Amino acid sequence: MWHLDQCLTGILTFNYIINFKKQTSIMKKIILSIFTLSLFVLSCSNDDDAVVLPLGDYENGILVSCEGGPSSISFISNDFMTTENQIYFNVNNEELGVYLQSVGFNDSDAYIVTDNANTINVVNRYTFEKKTTITTGLSTPRYIAFLNGKGYVTNWGEGGVASDDFIAVVDLATNTVESTIAVGEGPEQILAVGNKLFVSHKGGYGSNNIVTVINTATNDVATITVNDNPDEMVINNAGDLVVLCSGAVQYDASWNVIGNTDGSIVKINVSDNSIISNFNFANGVHPGLMAYNNGALYYVSANKVYTMGDASTSLPTSSIIDLTASYAYGLSVNNNKLYVADASFSAQSELVVYDLSSKTITNTFPVGLGASKIYFNN
Amino acid sequence: MKKISVFLVLVCWCFSSLAQTVTDSIQYLDEVVLSDTKLRAYTSGVKVRVLNDSVLANNAQSLTGLLAFNSNLYFKENGYGMVSSPSFRGTNASQTAVIWNGININSQLTGQTDFNTINVNNFSDVTVRSGGGSVQYGSGAIGGSIHLNNKLLFENHFENKFQVSFGSFNTKQTSFNSSYGSNEISINAGVSYINSDNDYKYLGTNKVNENGQYNNVNFNFNLGYFVSNKDVLKMYHQTFIGDRHFSGTVSTPSKSGYEDENYRTMLEWSRIANKYTSKLKVASLQEQFRYFENKEKSNYSFGKVNTYLVNYNLNLKVSNKLQFKTVLDYNKYKGSGSSFGSPEREAFSATLLMNHKATNKIVYNLNVRKDFTSGFTSPFVFAVDAGYTVNKFYEVKLNASKNYRVPTFNDLYWNPGGNLNLVPESSYQVDLGHQFTHKHFNVKLNSYYINTSDLIQWQPNTSGIWSPKNVAKVNSYGAELEFETRFHFKAHHFNITSHYSYTVSENIETKKQLIYVPFYKANLAVAYSCKKFSVYYQYLYNGNVFTTTDNLRGRFYSLEAYAVSNIGFNYSVLKTKKQQLKAGVLIKNIYNKNYQNVAFRPMPNRNFNIQLYYQF
Repeated sequence: MWHLDQCLTGILTFNYIINFKKQTSIMKKIILSIFTLSLFVLSCSNDDDAVVLPLGDYENGILVSCEGGPSSISFISNDFMTTENQIYFNVNNEELGVYLQSVGFNDSDAYIVTDNANTINVVNRYTFEKKTTITTGLSTPRYIAFLNGKGYVTNWGEGGVASDDFIAVVDLATNTVESTIAVGEGPEQILAVGNKLFVSHKGGYGSNNIVTVINTATNDVATITVNDNPDEMVINNAGDLVVLCSGAVQYDASWNVIGNTDGSIVKINVSDNSIISNFNFANGVHPGLMAYNNGALYYVSANKVYTMGDASTSLPTSSIIDLTASYAYGLSVNNNKLYVADASFSAQSELVVYDLSSKTITNTFPVGLGASKIYFNN
Repeated sequence: MKKISVFLVLVCWCFSSLAQTVTDSIQYLDEVVLSDTKLRAYTSGVKVRVLNDSVLANNAQSLTGLLAFNSNLYFKENGYGMVSSPSFRGTNASQTAVIWNGININSQLTGQTDFNTINVNNFSDVTVRSGGGSVQYGSGAIGGSIHLNNKLLFENHFENKFQVSFGSFNTKQTSFNSSYGSNEISINAGVSYINSDNDYKYLGTNKVNENGQYNNVNFNFNLGYFVSNKDVLKMYHQTFIGDRHFSGTVSTPSKSGYEDENYRTMLEWSRIANKYTSKLKVASLQEQFRYFENKEKSNYSFGKVNTYLVNYNLNLKVSNKLQFKTVLDYNKYKGSGSSFGSPEREAFSATLLMNHKATNKIVYNLNVRKDFTSGFTSPFVFAVDAGYTVNKFYEVKLNASKNYRVPTFNDLYWNPGGNLNLVPESSYQVDLGHQFTHKHFNVKLNSYYINTSDLIQWQPNTSGIWSPKNVAKVNSYGAELEFETRFHFKAHHFNITSHYSYTVSENIETKKQLIYVPFYKANLAVAYSCKKFSVYYQYLYNGNVFTTTDNLRGRFYSLEAYAVSNIGFNYSVLKTKKQQLKAGVLIKNIYNKNYQNVAFRPMPNRNFNIQLYYQF
């Protein structure tokens, strides 16, 4: 049968590619060690000539996590010359499951959080070789933050149940969940600042309006009430926590829309948990994505990009870029470039790169299905 | 010379009128035996294939299997026993109408019928009608329709069938059917139950199909009674209660559970006179589901729709050559569910069918229908079809129609995202068929073209809310071949059927093949019997399909072609006029092929099933 032969050839070619990859990585290690030795010698004589060798195929580039399904991770080198989709599968010959929610980075490790699969795959962030998988103690995991040798993972439990949400505490030495901290409904993003963890509660399948603060030194848990659906969080140059709340659409029992709650950008003092400022969006406006770079905050509202400085005393009134994305699902800014994940769930998505000076598109790259988060792996 | 011609004319006339009486009596019989007579009487130019009880018996485990191996239909199944969706001629599951004794039973929630919620055991026949049929069968009959029929026989008989089977993955199935009839009354009742752990191996991995267990019970009761010489009262009932866990994918296990219930009851009063037949039908259909994100927990989401239906049709025979059927149909739908409050919808339709034997060789039908639906405008639809008997061996069939599919409750009312501005999908199609009939074989060769616009697709909008829109336009065209032969040498009986299809179904704008439409599909079924022994072999080939709309090839974008085969043996332990005892073995996936028909959802490895069948 022709299709059988074709299939076999496919598998053989495939194995060959895998072996080839392994071989190249072994070769790389050998070359690397030789180079390291020579570098040592060279560095004694002339520091300026020091050549920094890549730690793996996926160093110095952009990683795009794609929900799928099937979930995957795409890589684009910083010089935009090399692109590769499905890097986790290519290296490890296994799928991630659905749906890849986020990736956390700790030293040389990347923690790939897949919510429905209830797993975190730990890989070397530069080679993407799998180290281990955390399979127990997670229930719809969403995001991970790292602090003092521990990973803290937000977990929804059942998306519609308010009483089963928690933070899983992962011992990074063993990569196992060692304890849990109960929190309110729908914990989403998590940031570590000093000895504190800040958790935005978007609310799972529903809606919530709190930021939980966990003091890891004392295990005290406090909550800060903010506008509805807090999701994206950053620490600005002043050291304040900035949270984007999308606001909620309100329904009656028959699911008729009866109103909207206001979205806002809220600034929180991380030392005493007090609210410094809260800029409300117009009623009915529901901003979704936020990024921060070099003193400037960027957010997307109604497919337009707005920006504001740390010292701004009000929300900007005009946008800087009109996106062409059919569904802007991820936003990141780095090195005067703005990256937007234009997600498709039925075909390849696109990573669109804007130059922030000219505000124009400079590059687009096809990436995996359901592209969502954009990370810089430098 | 003149005398001879007169004689010939006379002979012809005699023959044709004789043939006419035969057709008439067949039609009369159909009116009595079947609820849905237009499936037989108004389809001169349409490809129709009836799968009768002997085919059904060899495929008793699943309707999906029955049709995948014995028709041109293509199926995708989310793992064995899970949600199964059919596709005719490059269209999708909601463009395939499922008709239970003449009534469209596609879910009002999803617009489609999950073929793993239909039990094959309790039907007299399953008929596949290829091509558009919205005039006759309403919304969703774009690619074709599948008809589940119960026959009521008004002749003296009392027959019971008992079947029990046991197989791999702890699969147990049992069914009992009883049929009683006299000149006046006809009753048949059946109950069947299946239960399976369904924990098959994922070949090539160390995983098994966790959380795929299912069970369902199906109950049918049908009754017909001649109140007078001309009046028959009939009742049809079907209950289906299913409890399934939904298995996950190869990389993401699932914890979910799904319970669904369907209750269908129809009362019919037929008055059968010489010139006319009138039928009044009243029916109530109830569908409901409960979905458990985690089957260990008590919280669930649900959906429910009650359909109330009144249908009156009048068949009028103007002459032996000309007949008309008018149908008036009223439906009321009442829904409720976790995601859409309690919406209601009404639909009324008027249909006129005309059947004309223009000559002895040409029969054609002209059909029109107009629907009035609350909330949106349904198109005026029509169908023209004709059969031309070239000679004893060769017949040409041609049909053209306009068809439609209304938005579902989910499309309209799902929150958030439901879109009340949707319009029905509409479609034009033409289908040319050639039929060759010989004593030992028959061949059907069809080519078709379907143009569908306003295809409803769910997509995320710029703020991330998934919402359905009338977006795509699709051209589908292709060819289908159906071959059947029956012959015997002395006591060796052979029956071979085969189907082949070539299908192109592309988005007009992007020029890309639709996802999950194989270019090639073929199957072969060979049955051999000799005295007490019989064996059957089934083969299915599904060509590769794209799983993403950009038509890329590879693990993340497409599924490889696969071929899978089954073999079964039956032995008649006992066979008398009054009773029959048969034992059988069925081996599915005999070559232990690792295959998927939905991405990342493996299908079962080689598996066994033993059956006992007792008829008395």
